[in-house]
Amino acid sequence: MQLVAPGTTLFDVLGLPRGVDVDKAELERAYRERSLRLHPDRAGKDDPRERRLSLERTALLNEAYKTLRAPEPRAFYLLKLHGLDLLKEEARAVSIPPKVLEEVLQLREQLESARESGDDEQVSALSDRVRVQSATTLSAAQSALRRLEQAPADEAVRVEAAQALARLRYHHRFLEAAEGSDEEDS
Amino acid sequence: MAYSDKVVDHYENPRNVGTLDKSDPNVGTGLVGAPACGDVMRLQLRISDEGVIQDAKFKTFGCGSAIASSSLVTEWVKGKTVDEATTITNKEIAKELSLPPVKIHCSVLAEDAIKAAVADFKKKRAERQGAAKATAT
Repeated sequence: MQLVAPGTTLFDVLGLPRGVDVDKAELERAYRERSLRLHPDRAGKDDPRERRLSLERTALLNEAYKTLRAPEPRAFYLLKLHGLDLLKEEARAVSIPPKVLEEVLQLREQLESARESGDDEQVSALSDRVRVQSATTLSAAQSALRRLEQAPADEAVRVEAAQALARLRYHHRFLEAAEGSDEEDS
Repeated sequence: MAYSDKVVDHYENPRNVGTLDKSDPNVGTGLVGAPACGDVMRLQLRISDEGVIQDAKFKTFGCGSAIASSSLVTEWVKGKTVDEATTITNKEIAKELSLPPVKIHCSVLAEDAIKAAVADFKKKRAERQGAAKATAT
C-alpha cells in the first residue's frame, strides 16, 4: 500500500479544500481527528509494517498541519504546488526587481550601523517598519496566489506571486538579523 | 556545518568591503540576490577606459559562504579585463573555497554579481557614447 497517491497535496492529507484561505477551526478539527485515528497505539500495534506505515502517516499529517496552519508557509507551499519551490535553489529562476534588492541592502546597512552604534531604538524602529512591509507583502502574495489558483497557466501571475514571496523571505531575514540570530545556515 | 579554512579566513577578514561611487561613469554596480536563502550581494568594479578592473568592493548580507565568495572574487577580478572577469565561473569559486554542495548557490551568486556589475558598466558606457554622439551631431 502506498503512503499517499500521486498528486496528493497536504490539503488532501487534512481533507481541506485547497486554497490561500483556510478555516482555522476546520484545520484544527481535521488535524485532531486524524491524529487520533493514526495514533500508533491504535493502528496495527502488532504488525511492524502497519506500525511503520502509521508512523509515516503521522509524520505526513504533522507536516501538513505545520505547513498549512500559518498563512506564510501556506503561501510558499501553494507556490510550490505551482511548480516553484522558493526555498530551493531553483528559486534562482525568480528575478528580483533591482528596486527591491536596493531596498533590502539599504535596510540591512541601516540595521548594521544602528547595531554598531548600539542604537536599540533605531533597531526596533527599523524592525517595526519591516514588519509592516511584511504584512503588506504577504497580502500581495496572497492576492496573486488567489488569482493563480483560478488561472494556473498565467505565467505573469506566477511571477508576481513568486516575487512577492521572495520579498517576504528578505523581510524575514531582516527580522532574524534584527533579533540577533543572523549568520545561521542559510 | 563546518566551513573550510579559506571560508573562515574570508569571513573573518573580508577583503575589499565597502562602496565605490555609483555615479562614477567608470564604476559598474552588480546587485544580486538569492531568495532561497535571503542573501543579498552588491559588487562594484571600477573599470578603466581600456576595460581593466582597477578596483573592486563588495557588501554582502548572507551566510559565511556568500561573504567568502564575494570577498574572493574582489581579489580575483582586480587587474583583469572585464572579458577575463566574466569568464570566472562559480565552479572555480566553489573549488577554491571547498564549498559543500548545499553552498554552491553562494558561488553562483558571486558569479552573477560579476556579470551584473560588468553589464551595468557596459550599459553606462554605451549610454555615455550615445550621449557623446548626440552632442557631436
